[in-house]
Amino acid sequence: MMKIANLLKRANRNQAAFEVEDELQFHLEMLERKYIQQGMSPAQAKSAALRRFGNLERVKKQCVAISNRNTRLRRILKASAILVALIGLSISIGGSDYKVARIGHLLIMIAIAGRLLLYVRGLSPSTLLSVSREESLSVINGTPHKTARN
Amino acid sequence: MANDRTDLMQGTLELLILNTLARESMHGYGIVQRIHEAAEDLLKVEDGSLYPALYRMEERGWIKAEWGVSENNRRAKFYKLTRTGQKQLEAERANWSRISKAVTKILQAT
Repeated sequence: MMKIANLLKRANRNQAAFEVEDELQFHLEMLERKYIQQGMSPAQAKSAALRRFGNLERVKKQCVAISNRNTRLRRILKASAILVALIGLSISIGGSDYKVARIGHLLIMIAIAGRLLLYVRGLSPSTLLSVSREESLSVINGTPHKTARN
Repeated sequence: MANDRTDLMQGTLELLILNTLARESMHGYGIVQRIHEAAEDLLKVEDGSLYPALYRMEERGWIKAEWGVSENNRRAKFYKLTRTGQKQLEAERANWSRISKAVTKILQAT
């Protein structure tokens, strides 16, 4: 079971890395195209594009890390919503009197609302949990600066 | 001309990205090009620095990313502003205006 979980985890990481690489590669290709149109040779265009882009490896690592962090949080929130819904369901089914059953219904509604919020545009898990307010690295002009976000 | 280019102040990259995406959804390359064009190359922005900022902004729910097809028929990731991002843009604009006024006042006073 653990092996399957690890494999899924690795597959998700690889997917994030693949998507980041594809996105950054597109940017470099566009830059190269522009420089070739301006009269550079393909080799010159490639090195000019890399120069203009900055530290490719560092950018890639940062983007993959942020992407994975977001996916992990989303998964935790989804699992929590399911758990709350299941607890609510068992309370409402097993609840002997009306008041207990109402608590179950309330939990189910909370779980559904939470799950829906994850789908609503603009409400990411980090927005809900306010975890992205920690200090984050901002790369400006190739120099890492500490940015306190609040 | 290269020596006249100014480093971008901390936090302003996000404001510029939000402002650029307010018009239309765009891929990362398009956003950088638009910023360079609008700033008439007076700002020093390394293209790569845009991406961690975009990912963080997506994480905060200010922008939403979707894969699409670019003008040269290649798979590309397009970003668009969300409602939260629109509100953030308004807040950041107001904040920038306050900072700008304050710094100008200080410079004029000394």
